[in-house]
Amino acid sequence: MVLQVEHVTKRFGPVVALRDVSLHLRKGEVLGLLGDNGAGKSTLMKIICGFEQPDDGSMTLRGEPYEPKSVDHARSLGIDAVYQDLALVDELSVFQNMFLRREKIRSPLPFLANRTMRAETREALNEIGINIPSLNAPVARLSGGQRQAIAVARTVHSEADILLLDEPLAAMGAKEGSRILDLIERLKQSGEVSIIMVLHNYVHVLASCDRVNLIQDGVISLDKPTSETSVEELTEIVVNEYRRARMAANAEGAGAA
Amino acid sequence: MPAETASDTASTAAAPGRAGPRNGAAGSRALGLGRRLLTLREGSVIVITVVVAAYFAATTDAFLTWENFKTLLPYFAPFAILAAGEVFLMINGEIDLSIGAVYLFAPFLFYEVSGLPLIPALIVALLACMVVGLINGFFTAVVGINSFITTLGMLLALEGFTLIISDAQPVPTPGTSVVEGKSTFASIFGGGTYSELIWALAIVIVLQLVLSYTRWGIYTVAVGGNRHGAAEAGIKVRLVIIRNFVLCSLCAGIVGVLEAVRTTSVQPDPSGANSVLFDGISAAVIGGTLLAGGSGTVVGGLIGALLLGILNDGLIIKGVNADYLSFYLGVAIIIAMAANTYVGRVRTGSASG
Repeated sequence: MVLQVEHVTKRFGPVVALRDVSLHLRKGEVLGLLGDNGAGKSTLMKIICGFEQPDDGSMTLRGEPYEPKSVDHARSLGIDAVYQDLALVDELSVFQNMFLRREKIRSPLPFLANRTMRAETREALNEIGINIPSLNAPVARLSGGQRQAIAVARTVHSEADILLLDEPLAAMGAKEGSRILDLIERLKQSGEVSIIMVLHNYVHVLASCDRVNLIQDGVISLDKPTSETSVEELTEIVVNEYRRARMAANAEGAGAA
Repeated sequence: MPAETASDTASTAAAPGRAGPRNGAAGSRALGLGRRLLTLREGSVIVITVVVAAYFAATTDAFLTWENFKTLLPYFAPFAILAAGEVFLMINGEIDLSIGAVYLFAPFLFYEVSGLPLIPALIVALLACMVVGLINGFFTAVVGINSFITTLGMLLALEGFTLIISDAQPVPTPGTSVVEGKSTFASIFGGGTYSELIWALAIVIVLQLVLSYTRWGIYTVAVGGNRHGAAEAGIKVRLVIIRNFVLCSLCAGIVGVLEAVRTTSVQPDPSGANSVLFDGISAAVIGGTLLAGGSGTVVGGLIGALLLGILNDGLIIKGVNADYLSFYLGVAIIIAMAANTYVGRVRTGSASG
């Protein structure tokens, strides 16, 4: 077990984002995280990568207590995330975004080693098979899929061995998406990298994940190997949840009237 | 900077509609150069500055003389330094309205601590300015007050404080006594004819390098462009903001001392200080720095200051009534900004501008 999350809770003011979440990640595993919008998936990812601190609960990383104080801290321990909003800076170029907070410096003066960073960016993007014409162009000019590819490439390229990918395919077409899934497959083959991936498409979950966790109302309500579940089962769970939520909303509406 | 290196794609984006087929390589080359210039971030202000300078050179005899260049310097160099610091903050998405107050405060403090030898006294004065920046940064980045409000408060408080410590009386600038001839200190720190120009060029070059080629610069753009994303990437957003406030106050303090040494005395004149503030911010804005953050250059601020200086100086040579002066300046700023916005839209090749 490379990462364990035990009984983590997180509140934002009156809103309970995570009620009591326990999640386990094995080494070399790809864990799919499913759940309705607002169920707490992104919050959980942000807690694991050190961007948010939990109100309660504990985490263990490679057998040691894990309390990340910051994103930098988590990164130094080998955990890196692709955020849902991608955390790209529109005004900066492709390669500057690629190396944001990981800039290479040309000693002895503290100047950025732009040439090295550009070359490595080119290499990393080629490896994924995503074609981006100009690495000097500000990322504002790129398509949604290209931007997402840069965010994914940045994290994969970071030498972290626990990757958190929050909807890495959301803005991508089928072709770009399949390249990213190929990349994840290659990482899985290496056996060195463990991945938690938030996804919405069950076909993607069943194709690339070893195990699936479903998060509902701030708790993990399902934890199964993907081999023991199916698109039908996952769909049914979520449809039921949707029905329950709608009935609850209707009851509330009726009560208010 | 991305926009400069990306000028190739930008100029192709700008091409349709305006670049018809042309005969003659020279013509198309000139057109290409013009287009390339316009797609530079500072392009439009460079063009406007050249046009304005050409106008004054053509219509007056006095403008294009070495003597006038020397007259022009104090209208330009101090504002280039003020704009340099302000550019960092504005790219950061913040603004510092207290630079005029710091400009006023620094030489008075320099006078107050002049029991010390000159250089230590100067260092104390500049450190105090940096503390002012630290306070601005603390209230903006940590307490979370909008920088417009924080620095507006600082402007009033610091100008008041300066009036208190000076008893509202002018004082001679330390180290500028002319009894034994101009001291080396005075010549270096603003008294020499080209002293302010050299300071301005040195500061602008260093800060442009910092902005374009160091982490500090990249993080400043990142925090101004996408504050939340920068934080998610692990950038210490508060530290970046505070650092830039300190830099901005330091620049203002340096200008305050340079000007006090140049004029050999310090007037406790808040309204003069406020007009310095406006000119400093104008220079930054004219130079293409966006108030909204994320974009701007220190060199642009320098050119903005040059344009302001040329307008000021040229209008005076033409004998324009002082009342018309600010009217023309105001119109010039708006025209320059309109040009910048238009060119910015062409440059990014999108409707987002």
